[in-house]
Amino acid sequence: MTSETNLNDKKSRSLWALGWKRLRRDHIGFASLWVVGAFILLALAGAVGVIGSGWRDEVAKPYAPPTLFRNLGPKHVELTAENIDAANQAAQQAAQPAAPTGQEGAAAPTTGETGLSAEEDPLAADMAEAQKNTGQYQEAQVVKAETLPMGADLRGRDVLQKVLKGTSTSLLVGLVGSLAAIFLGTLMGGFGGYFGRKVDDLLMWFYSVFTSVPDMLLLLAFSAVMRRGISTVILVMALTSWTGTFRLMRAEFMKHKTREYVKAADAIGASHVRRMFIHILPNVTYLLLVQFSILTVALIKYEVILSFLGFGVSVTQISWGSMLAEAPAELLQGYWWQMVCVTVFMSILVTAFSMLTDSLRDALDPKVK
Amino acid sequence: MFAYVVRRIFQMIPTMFGVMLLLFILFNWVGGDPSYILAGKSLSDQMLANIRTQLGLDKSQLEQFLIFVRQVITLDFGTSWSTQQPVSSILAARVGPSVTLTGSIMFVSTTLSVLMASAVAYVRGSLTDRMVTLICTTAMSVSALVYIIAGQYWLAHKFGWFPVIGWSDSLATNFVTYLPLPVLLGVIVSLAPDLRFYRSCFVEEMNHDYVRTARAKGLSEPKIMLKHVMRNALIPVVTSIMMSLPYLLVGALLLETFFSIPGMGREVIMAVDKSDFPVIKAVTIYVALATMVFNLLADVVYKFIDPRVQLK
Amino acid sequence: MKRTRFALAALTALLISGGAFAADMNKVLRVTFNAPETGFDPAKVSDNYSNMVLENIFDPLITYDYLARPAKLIPNTIEAMPTISKDGLVYTFKLKKGIFFADDPAFGGKKRELVAEDYVYSLKRHLDPTVNSQWSFLAEGRFAGADELVAKAGKNALDYNTPIEGLKALDKYTLQITLTAPAFNYSYILAMPAFGAVAREVMEANAANTNAHPVGTGPYTLKEWKPGSKIVLEANPNYRKETFNFAPSKDAVDAGILKALKGKSVPVCGRVEVAIIEEEQPSWLAFVDKQIDVNRISQAALQEALVIDPKNPLNVKLADKYVQQGIQLQRIKDLEVTYTFFNMQDPVVGGEGKEKIALRRAIAMAFPRSETIAAIRRGQAVPVNYIVPEGVAGHNPGFKGAAEFNPAKANALLDQFGYKKGADGWRMQPNGKPLVIEYATGTSAIDKQWNEYWQKAFDSLKIKLTWKYGKWNELSKANHEGKLQMWGLAWGADYPDGENFMMLLYGKNAGDSNSAWFKNAAYDKLFEASLKLPDGSERNKLYDQMNKIAVAQQPWIFGDTRVRSWVAQPYVKGFKVHPILNANYWKFVDIQK
Repeated sequence: MTSETNLNDKKSRSLWALGWKRLRRDHIGFASLWVVGAFILLALAGAVGVIGSGWRDEVAKPYAPPTLFRNLGPKHVELTAENIDAANQAAQQAAQPAAPTGQEGAAAPTTGETGLSAEEDPLAADMAEAQKNTGQYQEAQVVKAETLPMGADLRGRDVLQKVLKGTSTSLLVGLVGSLAAIFLGTLMGGFGGYFGRKVDDLLMWFYSVFTSVPDMLLLLAFSAVMRRGISTVILVMALTSWTGTFRLMRAEFMKHKTREYVKAADAIGASHVRRMFIHILPNVTYLLLVQFSILTVALIKYEVILSFLGFGVSVTQISWGSMLAEAPAELLQGYWWQMVCVTVFMSILVTAFSMLTDSLRDALDPKVK
Repeated sequence: MFAYVVRRIFQMIPTMFGVMLLLFILFNWVGGDPSYILAGKSLSDQMLANIRTQLGLDKSQLEQFLIFVRQVITLDFGTSWSTQQPVSSILAARVGPSVTLTGSIMFVSTTLSVLMASAVAYVRGSLTDRMVTLICTTAMSVSALVYIIAGQYWLAHKFGWFPVIGWSDSLATNFVTYLPLPVLLGVIVSLAPDLRFYRSCFVEEMNHDYVRTARAKGLSEPKIMLKHVMRNALIPVVTSIMMSLPYLLVGALLLETFFSIPGMGREVIMAVDKSDFPVIKAVTIYVALATMVFNLLADVVYKFIDPRVQLK
Repeated sequence: MKRTRFALAALTALLISGGAFAADMNKVLRVTFNAPETGFDPAKVSDNYSNMVLENIFDPLITYDYLARPAKLIPNTIEAMPTISKDGLVYTFKLKKGIFFADDPAFGGKKRELVAEDYVYSLKRHLDPTVNSQWSFLAEGRFAGADELVAKAGKNALDYNTPIEGLKALDKYTLQITLTAPAFNYSYILAMPAFGAVAREVMEANAANTNAHPVGTGPYTLKEWKPGSKIVLEANPNYRKETFNFAPSKDAVDAGILKALKGKSVPVCGRVEVAIIEEEQPSWLAFVDKQIDVNRISQAALQEALVIDPKNPLNVKLADKYVQQGIQLQRIKDLEVTYTFFNMQDPVVGGEGKEKIALRRAIAMAFPRSETIAAIRRGQAVPVNYIVPEGVAGHNPGFKGAAEFNPAKANALLDQFGYKKGADGWRMQPNGKPLVIEYATGTSAIDKQWNEYWQKAFDSLKIKLTWKYGKWNELSKANHEGKLQMWGLAWGADYPDGENFMMLLYGKNAGDSNSAWFKNAAYDKLFEASLKLPDGSERNKLYDQMNKIAVAQQPWIFGDTRVRSWVAQPYVKGFKVHPILNANYWKFVDIQK
C-alpha cells in the first residue's frame, strides 16, 4: 500500500510544473494572476484599437462630472468659444466710435476676414472663391454630454476612455521597458559571469559607473537628449534599470559555470555561447521572471514621474502618467475624478502585480520543498 | 583590512573616470547651449561668440575634457553658468535642507518599519501578517505624486493642520513647523517598501537553523527574536541604510518642488533645465564619490558586524 | 532740571525712533515669484522676476508715477524731466543732490553720493563686450562716439576712462546724453530698471559675482539670497527722504490709497520677503492660507477664485468666500502680445508666393483661438488684432488683423491652391512632395494643453503635424539658426511705445527679436520712417500700413493678450498694480495687521 503511493509521490516534477501547482494553491497569488492577465488583455485590446480608440473625441462638456457623483463636484461655470466671440463683438462695437484720429476703423471696404481691403489682400479673390466651396467641409454639430461614467477632463474627453487607452500605454511601457532592461542585464551579466577576467572587469566597470550616478539624474539626462514619445521613455528606462538584473545574472552564471552539467556540455563540444544561452540560461529563467515583474512595477511608477516632469508621452499619446500630470491643476479647482480614476486603476494593477511577484517568488523557489 | 581598503580606493579611480566620461558625453549632447540663456533678449552673433569664449565653449572637446578632469581633482567646479555663484557655495547651501528632509524621513521610516517588521515577522503566516502585507502593497501602488498633491491639498489647506509651504533658517522652526507634513508624506511613501524589505530579512533570518536550535534549547520566542535574530538581521538593515545615504544628498525631488524647500533635488532640476553644466557636474561627481565611499564603508562595517564574512 | 530732562527724553525718543523717516522693520511684505530669478546685475538679467528686484534696489534717472494711468513718466533721481534739444539729439539731466548708495566695503567706509559719472559708467557698461549685457540692443549705436570705443575694445573690457561725446558728465550733478539719431521714446528706455545707476567700485570689486552683490541707491538692499528659493530685501538706511505724494487718477482705488499712504515715508515696509513657488497649486494655497500677502492668480486657480460671467467673461468678481475675508482684487490688461510665427525663410511654410500665403492663412483660420481663450485662459484674455497692444502708444483699436476662425473655408482655400490629399488622406504640397509641418514646443503641462489645440487645428486641415520638443534656450538657439518652422511666443512691453512691438517684424532684427525672420522691403522702409516720428497721427498711419503688410503676408498668427488678476490680503493698504513696473508697489504699501 504505502510503497505504491510513495512511488507515485516520488515522480519528479519540473520546476515549472511544481511552481504552477504551488501558485494555484496560493489563492491570493492565483487571483492576482487573473487580474494581471485581465489587464494585459485590456492593454492588448487598447494597443490594437479595439478599446479606447476614441479617447481624443470631445464628447462632453468640459469637466463634466461622473454620472453617479454629479453632485460631488464644484459648480462649474461653463465658458465656451461662443461666449468669448459674443463678448468680443460687443467690445468691438463699443470701441468703434473711440478710434483716435488718424486711425482707420472698419470703414474701408474689407474682405470681411482680415480687415484688409480688396487691394491690400493678395488673396482677396481666392478667399471669395473659397467662400463658395465651404459647404463640403461643414462639420456636423455634436451634442455634448452633461455627464459621463467617470467624468470628463478639461477638453470634454471621456476619462474612462482615456484611462483604458492609458492602461495600454503604461503597461506597454512597463512590460517592454522591463523586457529590454532584462535583456541588456542578462546579456551583460551572462558574459561577465561566464567569461570572467577582462570581460568581467570591463562589464563591472560599466556597472559601477552606472550605479554611481543617481537614477533620477541619469533619467533626466537621457530624456533631455532624445525625442519625446513612448519609444524614448522605454529606451531611457532600459538604460537605467539594467543594473539589478546584471548583478543577479552575473552571480548566477558564475555559480552555474562550474556545475557539472555545463562541464558535460563542454565535453560534447558545445560552444561558449551555446553553453551560456542554451544550457545555463533556462535554469535561471525563473529568477528572471521574478525580476521581470518587479521591474515592470517599478517602471510603471517611473513613467508617472517622467510624465510629470515633462518627458513622457507626446500629445497624441496618453498614459497614466500624462493623466496624473493634469491632476494638480484639476484638484486645485476641485475636479477630482480624473485623479481618482487613474489612481484606482493603477492601484489595482500594481497591487496585483506585486502580490503575483511575491507568490511567484515563493512558488518558484527551489529551496522550498 | 588595510590592504583591502587601499585596493578598493584604487578601484574607485577608473569608476570615477568612467562617470566623468559618461557625464561629459551626455552633457555635450544634452547641453542646450547656455550662451542662449545668458544672452537673453539680444541674440547678436557677436554677443554669443563672446559668451562662448568666456565659458570656455570655444575650446576643443579634448581641452574641455581635460579642464573637467582638473576640476574634479581639485573639487573646484567654478561658477554656475546661470547665476554666477560659486558652485560650491550653491551646493553647500542646498545640501543642508535636503539632508534634513531626507534624513528625517529615513530616520522615522526606518525606526517605524524595523519595529513593525519585527512584530510582523514574529507573527509570520498569520492573518495579521498577510493583512499588513496586503496593506503595504496597496499603499505602494499609489504614486508618490498622488500622495503629495492630495496630502498638501487636504491636510495643509482644507484642514489647516500644517502650513502649505515654507522653510526657515532655524533648524528648530523647521522641525516644529515646516518639516512635519513633508516628512509625513515621505514616510507614507517609503514605509511600505521598507516594511516589506525588513520583514523578508527577518523572516529569512528566522528560517535559519540556529533559530531552530535556540527553540529546541527552550528559549522563549521574544528572547530569540531580540537576542539572536535581530542582531543578525540588522546586518542587511545597516548595509541598506548605508547604501542609501548618498541618495540623501539629492533629496526628495517631488517634496522639495511642492513644498518650496531649497534643496539639492530642485537645484538639479533647475540646473538640467538651464543647461548649467558646472552645477550638474558637481552634483554628480559628489554623489558618485559619496556612493563609492559609503559602499566601501558598508562593506567594512559588514565585516565588523559579521566576522564570518570574507572580504576579497 | 525738568526742562532738561524733558528735552533729553524727547531727544532720546527721536533718536530711538530714528526720526520720522525710518522704515518700520516690523512690517514685512511677503510676495511670491512663480519662476526663478537669475540674479541682480542690471546688465546681466532680462527676466521679469530679476527686474522686479532690480526696480527696488537701483534707481534709473526717470521712473513712473505710481497712480497715473496711462503710465506717466516722472523724474526719479533728477530734479525735473530732462531738457531736450530742438533736434531731439541732446538730453540734459540735473541730478538731485544728496542721494547716497547703500553702504558697501568697496566704498572704503565712507558714504558714497550718486553723481552724474555713475550714469555714464552704468550706460557704458551695457556696451562692454565682457559684460555681454542683455540690453545692449537698446544702447548699441545710440550714443555719439560709443561705437568707436566698443570697436577699440574688441573682445576685451571697455575703456571706461576715455570720455565719449555721447555720454558726458558736464559737472558733478549734470549728465548729458547725445544720441546719434533722434529717438522720441528714449526717456522710456531710461526708465527701465536695467538702466539704474551702479557704482563702479562695487562692480570692479565683485567682478566675479556681480549678480549676487547689488548695491544701489534704491529703497531696498539685498539682505539674503537663496537662488531659486528665497530673496529677502531690507530698507536701505541711506535712502533719501521721500514721502508718498502722488496725485490721484480717475481710478476708484486711488482714494483709498491716498488715505492710507499720504505723507508716509517711503519705503513703508522695512522688509520684503520673496518666496519662489513654481507649482500653481502650492502658490495659490499659500496665498489663501495667508502665508503670502500679494499674489497674481495663476490660470489654474482662476475659476476657483473668481466668479466669471459667461456673458461677459472679463467682468469678474471675487468668489464670495474671498470677498468675506476682505481680499482685494485688481485687474490689469498686460502690455503684451502672444503670437505664433512661421519661419518666413523656410522652404515649406515661408516665402511670399500666393500658395505659401494661402497655407499660412489656412492654418491661421483653423486655429480655435476663442476656444483656447475660453478653456485655457478661462476667458481672461482678449484676442490680438494689431501688432501693438492696447495701452501702448500706437495701438489701433478698430483694426481687425486676425484671420477669422473658419476651418471649412480654410480647407476650401487649400484645395484651390493645389494642396491635394494623398492616398493616406493627408495633404501634400502643390509640387507633389509630402507636407509635414513641425511645431516647436516646451514640455510642461501648459504646453501640452496648447499643443492639443494645435493638433486639433492641423487635423481639421488634414495636414501632418510633428513636434520639436526642447527647452526654451534650445529652441531659441535653433530659431536663431533658422531651423524652426513654427513656434509660439509672447512679447511684453519693455516700454509703452509702439516701436518696441513694430520692431518685431523689422528685417534687421531677423533671427533675433524678429523671430519670424520676416524680411519685407516695404515694411522695413515704413519702419525706418516711423522711427523719426513722435507718437501721433502721422506715425499711426505708418503703423497701420505696416500692420496691413503683416496681415497680408501672415508671418504671424495673432494670439491673445492676458488680463491678469492680482489679489492682496485685506491688511495690505495702498496696493495698485502698475502696467510697466511690476514691483514698484513694494516700497509704497503698508501692512496694517
